[in-house]
Parts: sequence; structure tokens; C-alpha cells
Amino acid sequence: MFIYFGGGRMIEVTELSKVFKKITAVDNISFKVESGEILGLIGENGAGKTTTLRMLATMLRASSGTAKIEGYDINKEAYKVRGKIGILFGGEVGLYDRLTARENIRYFAELNGMSKEEISTSIDYLVKILEMEEYVDRRVGKFSRGMKQKVAIARSIVHNPTVMLFDEPTAGLDVTAARIVQDFIIKCKEKNNSIIFSSHSMQEVERICDRLVIIHKGKILEEGTVDYLKDKYQSSDMEEIFMKLVGDKIEK
Amino acid sequence: MIKLKNNITLIVFLKELKDMFRDKKTILIGVLIPIIIFPLMFFVIGKSMQTNNNKVENNLKISLVDNSNSSFGSYLRKQKNLKIVDSKNPDQDLKDGKIFLSIEIPDNFDDNITKEISASINLEYDNSSQQSSTAEGIVSSYLDSFSKEIVTNRLSKRSIDTSLLTPTVLKLKTVEKVDNGIGKMLLSIMLPLLLIVYSVSGPLPAATDLGAGEKERGTLEPLLTTQAGRMSLLWGKFLAITTLGLISTIASMIGMYIAITQKGGLFSSTTGGAGFSIGGTTIIMIGIVTILFTMAFGALELAISIFARSFKEAQTYLSPLIIIAIIPAYGTYMLDAKNIDAFYFSIPIANGVCLIKEFISGIYNYYHMAITFGWLLAYIVISIMLATYMFNREEVIFRT
Repeated sequence: MFIYFGGGRMIEVTELSKVFKKITAVDNISFKVESGEILGLIGENGAGKTTTLRMLATMLRASSGTAKIEGYDINKEAYKVRGKIGILFGGEVGLYDRLTARENIRYFAELNGMSKEEISTSIDYLVKILEMEEYVDRRVGKFSRGMKQKVAIARSIVHNPTVMLFDEPTAGLDVTAARIVQDFIIKCKEKNNSIIFSSHSMQEVERICDRLVIIHKGKILEEGTVDYLKDKYQSSDMEEIFMKLVGDKIEK
Repeated sequence: MIKLKNNITLIVFLKELKDMFRDKKTILIGVLIPIIIFPLMFFVIGKSMQTNNNKVENNLKISLVDNSNSSFGSYLRKQKNLKIVDSKNPDQDLKDGKIFLSIEIPDNFDDNITKEISASINLEYDNSSQQSSTAEGIVSSYLDSFSKEIVTNRLSKRSIDTSLLTPTVLKLKTVEKVDNGIGKMLLSIMLPLLLIVYSVSGPLPAATDLGAGEKERGTLEPLLTTQAGRMSLLWGKFLAITTLGLISTIASMIGMYIAITQKGGLFSSTTGGAGFSIGGTTIIMIGIVTILFTMAFGALELAISIFARSFKEAQTYLSPLIIIAIIPAYGTYMLDAKNIDAFYFSIPIANGVCLIKEFISGIYNYYHMAITFGWLLAYIVISIMLATYMFNREEVIFRT
């Protein structure tokens, strides 16, 4: 029986670094994400958020250090890691415009080695829960951003991942489309998935995330729950705390 | 594991084909235009040439100054296709294209003929005009016939056999039927060039779309997060690009075949339409060379496309490839298929052109074939290695 969003365990990042030629994009970072936990990864453009997520998704090789996804090492067991993760990007969601929504989702299911029966069951299920019945067999080229985002969501979870990575998934979306994504992230949490959510929006991370990691120039500046950070920095405004941390670092 | 990899390659290959063939531009540029362009082009050229010739041959407008009403003047007036125009300023009319040529027969022309001394005729034509040049040829042939008549009469009066003038007679015999030979010669000049151009240009749109296009649309990153191996993805794309390139080449070949065999086109004046044919073995051998070239260029174009940051950048890098490929192809396309030196078969692209030329002429030189196929396989391996290298380089894949 094919079950969705089942039993995510954890992400364990240990002294992970990535160097591009002479530029250190990620510098010796370590953190953990438990089952059913949403970790917010926040930082400015170029802070190293996307590079971190790309390494966890095994798209990029780590220069040093490692990470384990459900116990599988990203450096040594990339193939198994990719079977455990689902990733959703912001901005252009990267769909094939000339294929239908169903064909887009099926393509990714096939690439993840699923059987025909599994694909059929899982697509039917996703179409139902994401309310895509009306347009699932239409080509995605003329879809609205919200419709495209739903297809991208379905594509990212069609293979039943237990770890979800969200790379600024609401960037450029209108309120309705952004809400679809936020609801989906909360559903993933309810199903006990381990989640990393990177964003620019402090309001969004404050509302969704259980814990935050503030990253700047590839290094972790601060880590903790929203309450812990507010208490430590004596401020109720996360944006102020962020600016204080990053600003301090820039001055230094 | 191997089975899974093969399946992934097949899944990617089928998806890419479906995706590309749903694009109307692909069908238009890759299939319809190659089929239509050659018949259309050669039909228009052939028709305009025929119209041009008919215009001159059947309505040859000349100005004739023949004050003495000479015998040659009378001879010309009897020709049905000649139209004598009364021109007050022949030089200007010739320049303006109102007449094709101007002839002036001196008053003493017939006297000189009678006295059996050389009689001159003044003929002026526009050597920058094709119609005027054709007219000059026609009138010269009339003068030849007229001269032969005079000589025959003179010899007859002296009771001399006219065969004295033709001590030798050349009886021509050709290896091929005349039409077939002309057709093969034309084909051995044009076909290799055409095939090389299509081997380069055929896979271009697909390579641009499946490399840089995929990067630009943001579809490559999600693809890399799946369990599909990068090599399987690359092979699927490579096979799709090669297939599209071949379809495009085959479409152009069909177009070329229609162009050669159509009536009223350029070739019908020389080959009489379907005046020649190529054997099955020749077609297979030419097909193999074309497939190998398309594979080599497909892989090379994919490698370049993956390297490019965007669709536009890929087009900038890939467009010169056609020119680069055409240079060696042009350098060899006039070579006689029966006398090609061995070193030509080691020059990239030129070797393919030379080998196709030999095949069309029915030559199967195993030494030349071994060298060329060896090189072609080397090009394919090198191109695939380059594409693999590009596809595995993080700084290339995420180069935006």
C-alpha cells in the first residue's frame, strides 16, 4: 500500500562546507532537524542557503563535512538520499510547458523508479488532495502561478519523500499561491516529515517554523526557536533581530 | 541496476521526443521546411531558367543593318525565332535590353563570298546579360550552318567530297547513361554538402532546448534531484537530439529527392526528371555516414549547450558551427570522386564528404572507409566525453 508523507526521521548536518574555487559559500555548518520539525533557514541573498539545500539534495558535492538524511550519507549514498527527499523551488517552478500536469508528475515518478501501479495510485491521490481534477490533463504552459505551484508540489512528493526541502518556495507568488505552499508545508509537518524551509520573509518563517538557523556568508550566526531568539535579543521583532545579527557581522 | 539505467534513458528519450514534437516550431523547422525548401528552390530556379531560355530562343529580338540585302541577311530573316527590330540606336537599345544583339552586315559581304575571301560580320552583344549571351550563341550557330553550306557548295563545284572536311569522327560512349551520369555528378557535388549541413543544423534546435533551454526554464534542477543518474539523463537527451537531427536530415533528403525528380525543376533540363537512381547499398552506406556525423555533432552541440548560461548564449556559441563545418565540406565538394587522395579521409568533415562522393560513384574503397569510420567513431566518443564532462561539472550545470 502506498502511503503519503510517512514517517520522516531526521536531517543531521555535520561540519558541512562548500568552496567554489576561492569562494567559501558554506563554511563548516552543523545542525539537526527532527521528525515533524520545520527548520527555517534564513539569510540574505548569497548567504549560502541554496548551496546548503543543493548539497543536501545531492545536486552539489560537499567540499568537506557531510550530512545524513534518514541515516544515509549525502556523499556516499546519494542515490538513496534522493529517494528520501522532495524539493520545491521558488520563482520559476521548472515545469515542462508542453506536457500536461499529469505527464509532468508522471515523468518525475518514473525517474524515481516507481512502478506503473504506484504512479497511477499516487497521481490520483495527489490530484484529489491538491484539487487539480479540472486541469490535470491540460498542458501546463497556460496555467496560472498557483496552478503551476500545485503541479510542482505534486511533482516533489509523488515518490513519497520523508524529508522536504523548500528553497524560497513563495518567492514571487501572489497571496493565494503563497498560501497553497504554506498549507502544504504545514501538512508535511503534520505527517511527521523533517522540513527545511529557506525564506527571506521573517513573518513567514516566524509563523511556520519551529526553529531558525540564521546564516550569513556561509556561517551560522545564530540558532534556536523564535521565542529563544526573541528572549535572547530582547526584541519581539524577528526582522530587528536578524538585522542586528547580520549588521553586527557586517560592521565587524 | 543496469536495467533501471536503461529504462531511465528510455523514459528521458521518449519524454524529450514527445515534448519536442508537441512544439510546432520543431515540426516546421525540422521536418516541413527541409521537405519543402529544396523542391521549391529548385523548381523556381528551373522555371526561371526555362522561362529565360524560352524567351530568347522563341523571341530573339535583334537589330539588323543589312543595306545590301545580303544572303546571310536573308538567311537570318527566314529563321522563325528571330524577330528583327527596327532600331534607330542599336547601342542604346542593347544596353536597355530592348534587343538581345545587334548585327551589321557590310555592303561587300556577298561580293567577298563570291570572290571566296573572308567576309566579316559585326555582331555586338551585352556580355553582362545572360539573355544576350544566349542570343549570341544562337546567332553564331546560324552563322556556322550558313558557312558550312557555302563551303559544301564550293567543294561540290570543285567535285571534292565534303567528307574531306571531317577526317575523324568521334563516337561517344558513356559508362553511365548520359542522364544518369549527369545526375550522379550533380548529386556527388550537392548531396555530401547538404548532408553535412543537415548533420550540423538538424540537431541544433533540440540541443539548444535540451541543454541551455532546460537550464533557463529551471527544469534541470528538479531533474537532478530525482533518482535518475546523470549519465542516464544525458544519454536520453543525446538520443533524442540525434533522432531529431536524423529526422531533419531524412526530411531534407526527401526534399532533395523530390527536387531532383520533379518535372519542370532545375534538374529536369539536365536529367529529364527521374533520370537516374541510387542503389540500396549506396543509400545504406550514405545513411551510416550521416547517422555517425549527426551523433558526433549532436553530442558536441549538447556539450556546448549545457555549458551556455542561457538559450541565447547557446545560440551564439552554436551558430558558427554550421560555418565551421561548411568550410572543409566546401573545400572538397568539387573533387572528382574517382581520384581522391587518401589524406582527405583524415580531415574532419572533408572525409565524410569524400566518402559519400565515392559511394554515389559506386566506389567502396575499404581503406578509405576504415579511415573515415575510424575517425567518425573517434569524433563521437570525444564529443560524448565532452558532453559527459560538462554534465558532471557543478560549475557548468549551475552556471547561470
